[in-house]
Amino acid sequence: MSRDLMRAQEIKALVRDAYRAVNGSTTRVAERLYSGEELALVPESARSGALGLGNHLRFARIEPGATVLDLGSGSGIDTVLAAHRTGPNGRVIALDFLPEMLERTAQAAREAGLGNVETLEAEMEEIPLPDASVDVVISNGVINLSPRKARVLAECARVLRPGGELCVSDLTIDEEDLPPEVLTHPAAWAG
Amino acid sequence: MAERDFVAKLDRARFSKIEVLERKPMSIDDCALYPLFDDELLTLMRKLIVPEKQREIGVAIVVRARN
Repeated sequence: MSRDLMRAQEIKALVRDAYRAVNGSTTRVAERLYSGEELALVPESARSGALGLGNHLRFARIEPGATVLDLGSGSGIDTVLAAHRTGPNGRVIALDFLPEMLERTAQAAREAGLGNVETLEAEMEEIPLPDASVDVVISNGVINLSPRKARVLAECARVLRPGGELCVSDLTIDEEDLPPEVLTHPAAWAG
Repeated sequence: MAERDFVAKLDRARFSKIEVLERKPMSIDDCALYPLFDDELLTLMRKLIVPEKQREIGVAIVVRARN
């Protein structure tokens, strides 16, 4: 294995461990990002695990009947909101690399009474879906966690149908503005 | 990853109509809401980042692009 791939595996392990260790409620994050009307559609189990950075769903063009892929579904807040918009004739595929997160998403969908959510345990660098099978890709603070971001975006392009859209929230930083001790801190990869 | 690098990667993946629709600065206090930023990292950031930069250590963006 090349040194770069070994580093990528180390980073993934760091992110995996950090997300597994998350405990406590992050409802305050959800309250900052989503409107009261949106939060009313989302079960407490999803609100209390919100780790997103923005509300890209305000900009995502999700039509009834659409197929939506949520990359890194986490506690399921965006999956639930997207599933309400696709309606019963559409579906949301919630992808996450942690089974624990997928169980939270599935629980949130059940509590919301949604039958159009599927969970998919996979890595976003290798999405096990056919070409041109998705109308909209959404993601919230997840792509920045990948050590292979170009690969993730190429996979999004592959699974999206022609004319389909990616609409994501993510964290950008200007590395020149941050001290090396911060940039190289293990928690900085997961945060 | 800087915003310009994100947009460049989208362009290289052959997305079109790339739009950055929202930019929200993130301060260290904002980061503290997320348990993924542990106390050690938060303390390090408060110690090493100059005060005027602590209000914007990153920017949360919303990007939309067409395949």
